[in-house]
Amino acid sequence: MGSQKRIAKELTELTESPPAGIMVELADEANLYEWKVHMEGPEKSPFHNGKFLVKLSLPTEYPFKPPTVSFATKIYHPNVTNDDKGSMCLGMLRADEWKPSSKISAVLQFARQLLAEPMPDDAVEGRIAEQYKNDRARYEEVAREWTRKHAC
Amino acid sequence: MNLQEFLAMEDNFDRDELIDLRGLDFVSDYDSHLMCPICHCPFVDPVRLQCDHVFCQSCLSSAINTFRSADSDEFPCPSCRTPTREVSTSVPRLLINMCDEIRDIGLDGKCMHVLRQCPRCEEDVMEQDYEEHDKELCPVLETSCVDCETVVSRKALKEHVEACPEVIVPCAAAKHACPVKVRRADIAMHEQSCPLVTMIPYFEVQNTRLNSLELSMRHLQQRNEIFEDGLANIRSTLVESARIGASAAPSGQSANNGRDQPSTRTETNTDDPTDISSSVFSSNATTYLLSLHESLREEVEQIKHNLTDLDARASMALMNECIRMKEDMAHTNAAVNSVRMQVQWLMNPRLHGTRTGAVRANTGNETPRSPMASSSTAGSSSTTAQPLGPLRPRRPSDSGREGTKL
Repeated sequence: MGSQKRIAKELTELTESPPAGIMVELADEANLYEWKVHMEGPEKSPFHNGKFLVKLSLPTEYPFKPPTVSFATKIYHPNVTNDDKGSMCLGMLRADEWKPSSKISAVLQFARQLLAEPMPDDAVEGRIAEQYKNDRARYEEVAREWTRKHAC
Repeated sequence: MNLQEFLAMEDNFDRDELIDLRGLDFVSDYDSHLMCPICHCPFVDPVRLQCDHVFCQSCLSSAINTFRSADSDEFPCPSCRTPTREVSTSVPRLLINMCDEIRDIGLDGKCMHVLRQCPRCEEDVMEQDYEEHDKELCPVLETSCVDCETVVSRKALKEHVEACPEVIVPCAAAKHACPVKVRRADIAMHEQSCPLVTMIPYFEVQNTRLNSLELSMRHLQQRNEIFEDGLANIRSTLVESARIGASAAPSGQSANNGRDQPSTRTETNTDDPTDISSSVFSSNATTYLLSLHESLREEVEQIKHNLTDLDARASMALMNECIRMKEDMAHTNAAVNSVRMQVQWLMNPRLHGTRTGAVRANTGNETPRSPMASSSTAGSSSTTAQPLGPLRPRRPSDSGREGTKL
């Protein structure tokens, strides 16, 4: 149960000194492995002023297996699936790229950074990625609209 | 030491340690560089890889077990993913010393949960709470009242606050909307001059009166409801009985009236007019409605009759029309057939003509006699002029048309 110790440690660190725009809590006080993260859309992105609920679930093998990140709030973004799961594709969370030394704090900051700078080459929503590359103005308009509708 | 040796060493390692070093809460903060990147605790039995990354021995072995692909003697470093074969147990002494030092600070020989008696109040306090108790919470300690700054013991503070002349208290008439709040010392003076305080007894009396009135009103309301219910009941039973009586014996009523006039007369008088008139009115209305219904039924009957009549007439007309049209159709059919026959008849000679034309094309250049031969083959067209060849067969068709016309 080394994982619980480390998770508890990271949780206290994150609640005591949360990174900018990120607030974490446990979804269920009795379960360390399911986290609820309140993420504010980064400034200078179309998600600014939006408040997104992100679910982070940790495997029991953590830190040897990567956590998974999914958006409970709908978001118009090339790297987040546009279904009811809202799973986010993060490079550092892929099984072959994950390192046990990566911290949850870093994962969350990276996820927030991805909101500001999507990676269309790594996209899960091909259509949105296409639009992001070819028609940036329209992409930002739709993303802002969705943020207003779902995340305010 | 290579991988196999390392894992074997880990297996043989005595895990029955006295304390779980990772379970400690460290009193002082420690440098994050002294922290194992896997368990986030200060290193326990650190080991070093080729790439100079250091991990706890047990953390590294579980990482190796997770990441090593089956039976290869390589694994990726959990920090930088450099493929690694060798594990070195020789870690700089400096690092080990620093980790030990953190634990020394944390474990200075005292359990934080041991009970310790406070020498002043003789209460048992846990070691970790003792400092706070000693400085702030012990009831024997003296504190000063916030308002009058008299120094009293913590135990007596509550009593003091009740009586302290400096504490701000509301006027006795606060319940009756006096907004004044002054120090306890001045409250007596205020209460002497406060008009609301003098009114307090009066207010009290009024309040009790209001309360009792409200109570009695509620009682009366309930009784009223009960009465209303009863009245409605009585009325409905009366209506019922009046209706039965009216239908049963309009004639017997006079006799009844005569017999027990003194007793029932008064009672029936009260509600007779409405009931009787209503029953009469209702019977009138029913007969009227019945007659209306009857006449409507007759009308419907008549309409039904007319409808069937019309239906029959319409179908007759339709049939007549149909027959005529059928005849017409037959006529046109016959005409179309005859036209087809004519056309066929016309086409036949033309086919013949083309065939003969072809024959002539073969033979025409040879001799002038050939017309004779062709005429014999062409048959009916033999009398016509040669050069017009294929066009000739028209003429017989004209004559043929005249034939059909006749």
